[in-house]
Amino acid sequence: MNIARIPYILLTLSGFFILQEGFINRINFFIGGFSLYLVFVIAWTLQEEPSNAMLIGFFAGFIADFSPTLESPFGLWTLILTGFCYFLATTVRGNLDPQLSPLQMTLVTASSSAVLLLLFILIGAILGQELSSISILISEVIGNTLWSFVLAPIYIPLTIKFYQFSLTARER
Amino acid sequence: MTTKRTNRTRLLLVSLLVTSLFLITLDLRGLSVVSSLRTAAQSALTPFQSLSTAILSPISNFLDNLSGLRSAQNRVAELERENQELRNTNILNENVVGELKQLKGVLDLAGRAKYKTISARVIGKGGTATIGETIIIDKGSASGISTDMTVISENGLVGVVKSVSNSASIIMLMSDPNFRLGVRVAGSQLMGILSGEGGDNFSLQMLSASSDLSVGDVLLSRGSSGDKPFVPGVPVGRVSFVENSLGQLTKKAKVEPYVDFNSLGVVSVVLESIAGDPGDALVPKAPRPAPTITVFVTPTPNE
Repeated sequence: MNIARIPYILLTLSGFFILQEGFINRINFFIGGFSLYLVFVIAWTLQEEPSNAMLIGFFAGFIADFSPTLESPFGLWTLILTGFCYFLATTVRGNLDPQLSPLQMTLVTASSSAVLLLLFILIGAILGQELSSISILISEVIGNTLWSFVLAPIYIPLTIKFYQFSLTARER
Repeated sequence: MTTKRTNRTRLLLVSLLVTSLFLITLDLRGLSVVSSLRTAAQSALTPFQSLSTAILSPISNFLDNLSGLRSAQNRVAELERENQELRNTNILNENVVGELKQLKGVLDLAGRAKYKTISARVIGKGGTATIGETIIIDKGSASGISTDMTVISENGLVGVVKSVSNSASIIMLMSDPNFRLGVRVAGSQLMGILSGEGGDNFSLQMLSASSDLSVGDVLLSRGSSGDKPFVPGVPVGRVSFVENSLGQLTKKAKVEPYVDFNSLGVVSVVLESIAGDPGDALVPKAPRPAPTITVFVTPTPNE
């Protein structure tokens, strides 16, 4: 990754993290919640090379671990997002067309957000994190997937714009 | 070249994963730096959260209200229904209390005169346009009531039984224009005839022009042969105005009845007068005047 991109990526991720923590977490979504931050990271990663995706996952996870409402150990999101973004960029991205259709992007992003949340719950439980009731966890995961699917027409073009803006002239 | 690049990527992946695990280990070992990082993040986020609260609260409240609108409407309807039921119950209770008071009064009156009575509830009223001023009670011949029996209330004479069916009776009120009643002035043997004139107007015609009648005199029913249609001694009303016209054969007066015919709830029909004429025993006691409090003030002389 071009070093010049890193400050922009960090700034963008921090901006979305603030948006998520300050605004989106306050909205009552009726069913579960919606993590714009996660789907933004996933959608961005889908555009990147594996090494870049991995780094972006690491930065995104590190920033996500700052969330004051988290009760999980610091570094859990870093671990999960680093590994998952690498997996997305290599396995998922590699098995699909280079130019993802909007529907593919939507499906991959929505399902990935569900997998990420499940991984977070699972690994968190292994590390001794207290869990809510099963019904609440299920409603959170389903709600998040649903909203990720429904709101895809808004956040996917936005993510692509941010991604393209982060590229250097040579990379474009 | 590609293999070298892949190896470098894998090495980077392992490094990043190890870093993550290192961070987790630090946190699980209770390093205070990690918790203070989150505290610092909270401090940094607070202004944004306050801003979002200010922006989103009205929208959130609106959406909450919108989602709760239906349940709120149902709740309002339920409360209105409950309120109406409570009002009805309250009205019913007030009626019951009023009726009980009237019943107690009429039984008290009948008890003092040793009348054998049967109490009944007023279930209807007839207007002047029908067969005169009447009321309908919920007791009839099945309860021993027959025509021409005296009907009383807690305050005195109400009227006379005009017609009877098995379970109801029609009472001609004292205020009916066709009503005639022989009365006696309490404390004397002065007699006269009381006539209803509709409403609360009654006229009294004394049998003698020399009768010493004055405002405030109490009139009692004189009684009929065999106590039908009227038993003796029932309070009827009070003289409110005496006509002092010279040259007339009889003395005339206006009478104010004791009974309020618009608020009759419970009445009693006198079946039998056991002890005969009670005399003046049923004359209502005059209301005792409230004691006057006199305060004497002695001024202190200025020195």
